[in-house]
Amino acid sequence: MKTFLFKTTAIAALAASTAMPALADKASGTLNVAFTKELENVDSYFNSSREGVVLQRAIWDGLIYRDPETNEYIGNLATSWEWIDDTTLELKLREGVTFHNGEAFNADDVVFTVNYVAKEENGVKTQRNVNWMKSAEKVDDYTVRILLKDKFPAAIEFLSGPVSMYPNEYYAEAGPSGMGLKPVGTGPYKVTEVVPGQHFVLEANESYHDSPKGQPEIAKIDIRTIPDVNTQMAELFSGSLDLIWQVPSDQAEKLATMDQFTVANESTMRVGYLQMDSAGRSGEDNPFTKLKVRQAINHAINRQELVDALLKGKSKVVYTPCFPSQFGCIQDVTEYEYDPEKAKALLAEAGYPDGFTIEFYAYRDRQYAEAIASYLNAVGIQTDFKMLQYSALRELNMNGEVPISFQTWGSYSINDASAMVSQFFKHGALDSTRDDEVLEWLNVADSSTNPDERIEYYTKAIQKITQEAYWAPMFTYNTNYVFTGEVDYTPTPDEVLRFVDMSWK
Amino acid sequence: MSSDVTDPLTAEIQGPTPREMLKARARGHKGLIFGMGIVGLLVLVAILAPVLAPHDPYAQSLMKRMAPPVFLGGTWEHPLGTDHLGRDYLSRLIYGARVSLLIGAVAALISGVIGTAMGVAAGYFGGKVDAVVTFLINVRLAMPVVLVALAVVAILGGSLTVVICVLGLLLWDRFAVVMRASTLQVSRRDYVAAAQVIGASTPRILLTEIMPNIFNNLIVVITLEMAHAILLEAALSFLGLGVQPPTPSWGLMVSEGKNMMLFEPWLVLIPGAVLFLLVLAINLMGDGLRDVTAPEGRS
Repeated sequence: MKTFLFKTTAIAALAASTAMPALADKASGTLNVAFTKELENVDSYFNSSREGVVLQRAIWDGLIYRDPETNEYIGNLATSWEWIDDTTLELKLREGVTFHNGEAFNADDVVFTVNYVAKEENGVKTQRNVNWMKSAEKVDDYTVRILLKDKFPAAIEFLSGPVSMYPNEYYAEAGPSGMGLKPVGTGPYKVTEVVPGQHFVLEANESYHDSPKGQPEIAKIDIRTIPDVNTQMAELFSGSLDLIWQVPSDQAEKLATMDQFTVANESTMRVGYLQMDSAGRSGEDNPFTKLKVRQAINHAINRQELVDALLKGKSKVVYTPCFPSQFGCIQDVTEYEYDPEKAKALLAEAGYPDGFTIEFYAYRDRQYAEAIASYLNAVGIQTDFKMLQYSALRELNMNGEVPISFQTWGSYSINDASAMVSQFFKHGALDSTRDDEVLEWLNVADSSTNPDERIEYYTKAIQKITQEAYWAPMFTYNTNYVFTGEVDYTPTPDEVLRFVDMSWK
Repeated sequence: MSSDVTDPLTAEIQGPTPREMLKARARGHKGLIFGMGIVGLLVLVAILAPVLAPHDPYAQSLMKRMAPPVFLGGTWEHPLGTDHLGRDYLSRLIYGARVSLLIGAVAALISGVIGTAMGVAAGYFGGKVDAVVTFLINVRLAMPVVLVALAVVAILGGSLTVVICVLGLLLWDRFAVVMRASTLQVSRRDYVAAAQVIGASTPRILLTEIMPNIFNNLIVVITLEMAHAILLEAALSFLGLGVQPPTPSWGLMVSEGKNMMLFEPWLVLIPGAVLFLLVLAINLMGDGLRDVTAPEGRS
């Protein structure tokens, strides 16, 4: 009774304190949002973070749009498209679209953008997003052809996702760094202010074309970078923030009990996994070159407990190096049940009866990383725990200096296994496995236009990856969106915050 | 005749000896007793950790995470509740005392040896040695400790050894300053001159004439620097650059609890309170020792 009284008064006090400033926000029409991570560059081709995807969808448009509800492809900057042959896609462009700086959108912009990003020397961060395109050519002012390097069945998916159209004249002059500071696109929101590491101000694009994304309703969005979750929540209570996302499940559970906030939980395509240096890049005698050690790691982790106690919400246990809903991500794979005794036995068989000490890297979700490290400790693997920034860890990983790390991948919300498996197992800089057979199969699966053949080869590749225990896939993520009662928004399962779908109640 | 001479002497000897007077003053000093009591208790807890801790401080049990402590409605199975990974908070607190005290003691010892050697040398030899030492002290004082420690730990990676070495190599400045000043004073005393006159060697003078007479000051500085090192370790661990998980450290516990601070404040309050208590106790002990031993304290 006492605690109940205490809680209700506390909530009443909080509610009273938030009522005033929150009203002021709706009145001023500004939605205040927090990002947890700093964004390296707003230019969507030159960052690889979720925050970047969110801004990309708001500032720029793709040629095609995938409805997040129905998964149907609808024309956005293109009105129709047609395969001329297996590697040539012809698109009719929408007329009368202008960029935020007044530049008209036409075939030249598409040709320029595609040719620029497809060129490897220009250093687009995630090559996988663009390296399937060879070039683009103009047919007339509102017709273009995109030429592919090879058959690529996921082309439409990529064109509706990470490939957005840039203004040719402006981009030629400003380049990625200029675009990062003064982004110009055709999207529903235009950027009026960028202070790197601090905040971004977006304003509704009044002359937004008749896009399937819908028209922006909230006039102004102020996004601030606030790394600390407690600060975010304190600002939410005081009314200086209206929406926070990626809220850890513990806090979200508590916030859900308060009347003035809406807590929405949605699954995401992000998969959490342990990457192990089976190729021996971090040292020839590296324990992860041994199959039994990798199997032991897989057996040491209690995935179900992680999901039930830490991730909660719509998270699920996974054993595949891809998200189960992705095309080609078959689930008929080797599953490693939680069995610490077996893990110890496998370690002993591999020649480590007393375990070993290894550097364990992580870049996000310290709590999950610690829990995972603790499972490894329990079977005798001592961890030298290192928490780094994402960019720093990525750099180390590319140099092959990471023996084992807790990684996550959100596939850019692309619903195709190639966005994850092929990203990491095709001998790229981030491939810690370098399996030639897997590479061969993935090459077939990625370029085939026959869905059955694709499934067949993804199955081969994924089954080998799980048999060889190259990774220890663990769980899928979910994300909690918390917003004040005045905000009307229904999150989608693809972890993209869509400002254009938000409105005031 | 002789009895006339010896009487006043024996009368004086029959009074309390300096050592007895010291003990009497110490017994009357509440701060000193409180400080020593707490520090003694925590040292005991640290030494007896394996006996006292009710659970394995590393045993994770995700299903029982963030159980509240007894005074907030928890059970006696986990008197101080459990942390974000379901590890027993009391056990982690007890093992954390080891880390804090170990770092405090060893860092103070390393810096004590460095600082005292430099300070005594500067104070006794003067001249060029003094100039060099004074210069080094100034260089050291010009560097902000936390910043340098952060940078070094960031480059070398955080571990118990690295933290101890970094702190040990950074905190010698106060030792050097105080020891230099004390040595300057003492080395002008007649008994030092007398020792020099009878031809005692320099090491002998330093060890048997100077050191015993500056030892009081040394103890006070050691306690202060120990408290300083403990706080710095907590700060580094809080920033994620000190002792690495799963090693229990109070600073790390505060850091791990901070995400839940709004809803489960005890996760931060308990290690914070213990840290506060230890540092307070060490400082009280240092102050008390100064009051009891320093000449100006002798009323």
